[in-house]
Amino acid sequence: MIKYESQRVAYPYFVIALLLFGLQVIMGLWLAINYAFTLPQSLVDVFPFATARAFHTNLLVLWMLLGFMGGTYYMVPEESESELYSTKLAYLQLVILVGTGVAALIGFLFGWTQGRPLLEIPFELDLLVVLGALIFLFNIAMTLIKAKNWTMIQGTLLGGLTFLALLYLFGIPFYKNLSIDWYYWWWVIHLWVEGAWELITGAIMAWILMRITGVPRKTVEKWLYVEIGLFLFTGIVGTGHHYYWIGAPRYWLWFGGIFSALEPLPIAFMVWDTLRHVKERRVEIKNKAVLTLAIGSVIYHFIGAGVWGFIHTLPQINYYTHGSQITVSHGHLAFFGAYALLIITIFYYAFPNLKGYSNYKQTLANWAFWITSSTMMIIGLVFGVAGVLQTYLERIMGLGYMNAQAQMQFWFKIAIFTGVFFLAGVIMWIYDLLNLKPAESES
Amino acid sequence: MSTKLAKWIFYVGTISSAVLFLFLTWDTHRQIGTLTHADRLSDEVVAGKRVFQKYNCNDCHTILGFGGYYAPDLTKVYQRRGESYIRRALAQPEVLFAKSFRKMPQQNLSSEEIDKLVAFFRWVNDINTNDWPPQDSKKRRKSGVNRLLESATMSLGAALFKENNCFDCHSLKGVGGDTGPALDDVGSRLTLDRIKQQIRNPEALNPDSEMPAYPDLSESDLQALADFLLKQKGGE
Ligand code: HEC
Ligand code: HEC
Ligand code: HEM
Ligand code: HEM
Ligand SMILES: [Fe+2]
Repeated sequence: MIKYESQRVAYPYFVIALLLFGLQVIMGLWLAINYAFTLPQSLVDVFPFATARAFHTNLLVLWMLLGFMGGTYYMVPEESESELYSTKLAYLQLVILVGTGVAALIGFLFGWTQGRPLLEIPFELDLLVVLGALIFLFNIAMTLIKAKNWTMIQGTLLGGLTFLALLYLFGIPFYKNLSIDWYYWWWVIHLWVEGAWELITGAIMAWILMRITGVPRKTVEKWLYVEIGLFLFTGIVGTGHHYYWIGAPRYWLWFGGIFSALEPLPIAFMVWDTLRHVKERRVEIKNKAVLTLAIGSVIYHFIGAGVWGFIHTLPQINYYTHGSQITVSHGHLAFFGAYALLIITIFYYAFPNLKGYSNYKQTLANWAFWITSSTMMIIGLVFGVAGVLQTYLERIMGLGYMNAQAQMQFWFKIAIFTGVFFLAGVIMWIYDLLNLKPAESES
Repeated sequence: MSTKLAKWIFYVGTISSAVLFLFLTWDTHRQIGTLTHADRLSDEVVAGKRVFQKYNCNDCHTILGFGGYYAPDLTKVYQRRGESYIRRALAQPEVLFAKSFRKMPQQNLSSEEIDKLVAFFRWVNDINTNDWPPQDSKKRRKSGVNRLLESATMSLGAALFKENNCFDCHSLKGVGGDTGPALDDVGSRLTLDRIKQQIRNPEALNPDSEMPAYPDLSESDLQALADFLLKQKGGE
């Protein structure tokens, strides 16, 4: 049950995010088809891999940002114990951001792009994104200022969101020097996923755990300080693991290598923290699906980001694996575990409350979790095998890029096969959340 | 642990890392001009970067190892393939890659755009990347040739064949690519001079040749390579 009427603005954010997630996965399958089969030149000319990839990754970023923003709109009223400053602004911001997203995707089809991976959105649309972000931050800040009810969890959340918005600015200009371009590209991408987004994750996860387990706020907040302190300590200088081969000074091999090798620590800490809160719970956890998702997410976060990240983060290894399918393997497991599962956790926490029942049928939720989690693990492993093969054939044996790629077709066929089941799992999530039914006992 | 200590961990951790990072960023800016020889960053090179972005090449090709992993890394393409091959790839990908299992789109680039892209790749080629990528590393190639020679199972010619990416397109005993003909019996088909000419300047023999030229091979290496190929007479 929701306590504040304005929490409802989160709902359209969530629904749109879910649908975009589905679309993102369909584009992922299309990318894999590009790898697995030879497409005719006429098709490649009008809808090349490059455009499809821009779709896949921009949809990813868009649905995740909408998930975070919706989650924030849901959380802040309860946490600050006040209605949102303005629901109108929240809807306006949604219209601006979704409108920009749609315009960007259509633009890509016609070659309107800035042509930088993940940051393809053209300058004009960047300005609209900034406008949307400013409205959002203003709305949240005003809510907190008016409520005068500051909590550490909110501070972390708002801090992470502000950091996120600031970093985006570094991705906007045109850089003449390719090396400097990539230097700042990583301020957006790395400092997002290994900095700002981790703060947001820490705050949201702490809040949900506190709600479902009844563990006292003081305990949760104390450990949250330690966790985000470690995240930022390792993550900021850890950016250097992307500066080994870009024309930056050689000392980045040391700074980047050492700091990023420590990055799994805060993630391991988060796993420990979560499991301990669950063990020390003071209330019976009714929303079992949320519990499964939350634990699943932190563990998957640790595997995808912590373990898979660590594997190729040292320069001695990264020299051979940099920019190969190994990177893709890590990217998928990390994004899925850390952020996709986190946002789905928020959804399963918020949706029943938004719909007004405390208990709901959780069968489909559980099926969807296990199907998506296991198939994504297989997809990650398949990309990983493809990556090891590529690295060995192309970079150690010296057989040349295209010869090594000839081996990829087989593995990407397996990725497509598995991906269809993954998509089915995602569709189950979408269907289930949009058609949530109260449990027998309540109806 | 007390909350106070926890807060300290947060502040000290964050601030120390941020300060170090900003300092290193400042120092990187100081050095990056030299490392990327920014003095050669002419208007044409910058224009080439704009073309590169305009056509979103980077979502298929990596450059400096970043981007889509669907097509060859372009950091050292200038050294690997040479100018005329790059020009053909840009002007007529549908012809050059007609037999390939993976296609590059025909994007109708103007000849000025192609000039700019070539200038861009020439500049990128000389960025000091700490010898990345391994597949294009000259240092590793040299040590690779030496290693192969030391193992005593391989002649200089064979080592050069392997280390100059010939396997990209040609196969020997079933290993390698099929863009060009298998070379198992090339020694019984072609003369020494013809083989040398094919390596130095394939376009002179076939204006539409998909094979890049190798003008940088020294005369003695060329001789060794050609001798090696001349010995491939098939049979066995
Ligand atoms: C749809 C994906 C795609 C896009 C977009 C694309 N390429 Fe390619 N490109 C390829 C593929 C695939 C190959 C390799 C084909 C082969 O060797 O069989 C290739 C080959 C090349 C080569 C030769 C590389 C080598 O080592 O042999 C160059 C140079 C090149 N592309 C430049 C560009 C530039 C510049 C652009 C943008 C104007 C571009 N490409 C856009 C897919 C793409
Ligand atoms: C990008 C692909 C490519 C690369 C790399 C390449 N070749 Fe070729 N090569 C070809 C093609 C295609 C032909 C067929 C004739 C033509 O189009 O010029 C050919 C023809 C030849 C021939 C004549 C074969 C015959 O049976 O007529 C020889 C000899 C040869 N290449 C040697 C080499 C050597 C030595 C290297 C490495 C130094 C090399 N090639 C690298 C594509 C390539
Ligand atoms: C949730 C957190 C994380 C996410 C979502 C994530 C995601 C990604 C993605 C998408 C890329 C590819 C970017 C590109 O080039 O296009 C990448 C690269 C990389 N990540 Fe992560 N990552 C996370 C955490 C980590 C951690 C903790 C480590 C190290 C311990 C790490 C190590 C690396 C390395 C070394 C690369 C570069 C790969 C290369 O050289 O090609 N990542 N990450
Ligand atoms: C059916 C499922 C999926 C398939 C088959 C798939 C396939 C692909 C392919 C082929 C690429 C291009 C890699 C390249 O450039 O060569 C890609 C990129 C990417 N995908 Fe997916 N994808 C799927 C689902 C997902 C999901 C669920 C996420 C995130 C939660 C995701 C995140 C990414 C990211 C971050 C990249 C960029 C990777 C990088 O730069 O290293 N994908 N995907
Ligand atoms: Fe990173």
